[in-house]
Amino acid sequence: MATADTPLLSPQLLAQLERLELVSRKIFRGRMKGERRSRRKGQSVEFADFRNYVPGDDLRFIDWNLYARLEKLFLKMFLEEEDLHFYALIDASTSMDFGEPTKLQYAKQLAASLGFIGLTRADRVKIETLGSTHRRPGPVLRGRSSLWRMIEYLDGIQPGENVPLAEGVKNFCLRNHGKGILVLISDLMDKAGYENAFRFLVAQEMDVYVIHTLCPEELNPEIKGDLKLVDAEDNDIAEVTVSRPLLDRYKRTLASFIDGAREFCTRRGMNYVMASTETPVDKLVASYLRRRGLVR
Amino acid sequence: MNWFVNTLTWWQWGLLALIPPAIIALYFLKLRRQPLAVPSTYLWSKAIEDLHVNSLWQRLRQSLLLILQLLLILLLAIVLLRPGWRGSELTGDRFILLIDTSASMSATDVAPTRLDEAKRQARNLIDQMKTGDVAMIISFSNRARVEQPFTDNRRLLRTKIDLIEQTTHTSDLNEALRAASGLANPGESGDPNNPLDPRVAEALPADLYLFTDGGFAAVPDFNLGQLNPKYQKIAAENAENVAITAFSTEANPDKPEQLQAFGRIENYTDEPKQLEATLLLNGVLLDVQSVDLPARSEQGLPGVAGVKFDLQQLEQGVLKLEINAKDHLQADNEAYAVVSLPRPAKVLLITPGNDALELAMATDEMRKVASVTVQEPAFLDTKAYQDAALEGAYDLMIFDQCAPKQLPLCNTLFIGTQPPGEEWKLGDKQNVPLVVDIDAVHPLTQLVRMSNVKIIEARPIEKMPPASTTLIEADSGPLLAIGPRAGYEDAVLGMEIVGAGEGGATEAKTDWPIRRSFPVFVMNAVKYLGGIRSSVAAPSVRPGMPAVLRSITPVPLIKVESPRGDLFDVPRESQNTFVFGRTDELGIYQVREGTGGKAAQQFAVNLFDSRESDLRPRETLDIGHETVEAEAGRQVARQELWRWLLLGAIALVLFEWYVYNKRVFL
Repeated sequence: MATADTPLLSPQLLAQLERLELVSRKIFRGRMKGERRSRRKGQSVEFADFRNYVPGDDLRFIDWNLYARLEKLFLKMFLEEEDLHFYALIDASTSMDFGEPTKLQYAKQLAASLGFIGLTRADRVKIETLGSTHRRPGPVLRGRSSLWRMIEYLDGIQPGENVPLAEGVKNFCLRNHGKGILVLISDLMDKAGYENAFRFLVAQEMDVYVIHTLCPEELNPEIKGDLKLVDAEDNDIAEVTVSRPLLDRYKRTLASFIDGAREFCTRRGMNYVMASTETPVDKLVASYLRRRGLVR
Repeated sequence: MNWFVNTLTWWQWGLLALIPPAIIALYFLKLRRQPLAVPSTYLWSKAIEDLHVNSLWQRLRQSLLLILQLLLILLLAIVLLRPGWRGSELTGDRFILLIDTSASMSATDVAPTRLDEAKRQARNLIDQMKTGDVAMIISFSNRARVEQPFTDNRRLLRTKIDLIEQTTHTSDLNEALRAASGLANPGESGDPNNPLDPRVAEALPADLYLFTDGGFAAVPDFNLGQLNPKYQKIAAENAENVAITAFSTEANPDKPEQLQAFGRIENYTDEPKQLEATLLLNGVLLDVQSVDLPARSEQGLPGVAGVKFDLQQLEQGVLKLEINAKDHLQADNEAYAVVSLPRPAKVLLITPGNDALELAMATDEMRKVASVTVQEPAFLDTKAYQDAALEGAYDLMIFDQCAPKQLPLCNTLFIGTQPPGEEWKLGDKQNVPLVVDIDAVHPLTQLVRMSNVKIIEARPIEKMPPASTTLIEADSGPLLAIGPRAGYEDAVLGMEIVGAGEGGATEAKTDWPIRRSFPVFVMNAVKYLGGIRSSVAAPSVRPGMPAVLRSITPVPLIKVESPRGDLFDVPRESQNTFVFGRTDELGIYQVREGTGGKAAQQFAVNLFDSRESDLRPRETLDIGHETVEAEAGRQVARQELWRWLLLGAIALVLFEWYVYNKRVFL
């Protein structure tokens, strides 16, 4: 299992990821020519269809050969090849600094993996944390050569950006418009709830993936005794006397929390993936996310 | 009904009351929770959110260990209160426990024995004593013994009760009551009507608990005074017993060389019984007889049957009579008798010459019962005589026509002379006295007829010691008298058989020697004064009573071996007797003289007590003018709960341990 010291992307993982590409189910619009065929018709070498000419169409796309044969004006349409906007939004709050490897490290790895896939496919990759402001936006990356810049940026992310989830998401949405794929990697541990934050994402016309990262300490806490639980972010204190029934109750709460988030996302057309840090990143990407249609 | 018995004083309770607050304090000190950083308390808060709704109850549930500990202390406190029920309530604060240890208390009609039941009830009673109560324990049989004077130490009391041992003695309440009443009824120092004359001690009333079966005689002359008697009857109603109440041997009157053994068997049950009586000699079966015993009569007298065994020539030995009764008292189903051939009496005859007397002492019959030594009067002055007289080497000394300077330590018969000392005095010579009366009952003059005897001259006895008996009375005064002398007896015949006549020649003073009564008298004298027993069986000794023994040889110390094998040294007391008092066991005791390993004598200790053998419990006791009723039924002992509570406390501790390790609460 990777630790914080190991590189975000191992050569084996890179080799594995190279064969994948990001998929968006929504019609997206790139600003620059990319490698992927868009659903939009446009200019490329790949023929898509014909259609009748209506006044105002670009005369350049009229199939003159067909007009010579049929004396009717048809417009020749080609598949547009565009780039894809891929956004990775990482929660770098203190609560992400738990687990072995830490949830943040896991989030970085995941972001790096997906970002790498995007870079290899000449997509536009943008990685940000919830604490990023318009003054310090994350870099916009394109092309494989940007891989190292991406890794460098990810390595520079440190836990401690304790921004409320809703505010971070809101800031992100204000700065990044347009279509694309948004992967939010967070533990969703916000006392204000995740619902407001997700509503911002719904408004965004993006393919939203919520990767809910949880560490084993949260999934299966192995603690006992009379404890004073101290919240790592706001130093909130919960006094518990840990017992089997209390643990059961905690697990029920956790399960309902996960189920609630999943249902909230599903209803709003967002994808929800619960990821334990125990699941290797390559497996998560190659198996779970592939099944969910994020990568192909 | 007394549900609780306080066992602690107020300050001990105070200490106990401090424990629960201490536990609670310790619990809250202990509850310094370990801080632990977690990613978020978000889920934890949600998880325990609804638990805070009933926070107090929640706290208690979380403090299950605390509750268990407090419960444990509560349980222990209840244990200290000794909860129980149906115990008789003890009123008063002074108790005297009289525990009967007589032979009848070994009956097994109350399992395991009556004495054990009595001890158990006494222990129960002590358990019910409150702090500050004092009790005294007295065990009694025919003797009373203060096992423990007044004390409030219950452990000591219980120990002393455990140490009380069964005896085979008879019962006598008198001494025990006197020992018990010492504190309750103190003697008055002077005039009880004078208010200025204080008593020696304050009269302290006490409860007198009698743990007995009532098998003793009424105590008519005892004033209970401040004692409050309570009779705890320790007996079952269906107690059955058949007992041997007598066993002895006699020579067969028809065939003098043969023996007969007689036994008396009594039936204390309400049904006729058929038993087998077995006679053993030195452990070897001699004879078995079937005995039919009638039932107890309407008046309450036991059914009696006798057994008679005719024995052939018999050597020395121990006869044992057994009955195969399946009853509740074993001690009286066996009886022992020691058969010993008559020991020849050692007789010293000192005479200047008396053919008739010497002839009478030399018969075949006499030789069987006595070894006679004849000496001249000059022997009286020798050292050998002095030693023999002081040691008691002879059973009987006969002084004919002479007298010693001091009376020897043995029985004596003076013929015609006055014993030394002031006690006896013979009168002047009387001619031809006439015998007017003879004591036909006394063994010395049994079968002696003097009517045909002519007496030429006699010196009637003028003065004799007190408590003397005149045996032959003549018209001029007593001719034969016998008087006691510190354990011995002196017989004085106030006439000579032969004597120095005028001119010094020996002449007969009476024609008695030619009469048949003369050898009979001499034989009687040797048998009676020589200590020859008519019975060949040594008399049986009752348990607890002293056995008076005589040594055959003059030794300063004899050893007595009890049936169990314990050896006792018995020193000689005056008059060549040995008094052995430790006759606590039933059976045969061996007496050894000197260093010899062989038993010189044996004697038997048998119960032979109809009152002890009669196991039927008495319903009332008569003490003085009071009649004490038996407590209704068997006294119900206090049912104590504390053992169960303690077990519960142990279970609680185990449960607490489990909870602590498993954290199963909430």
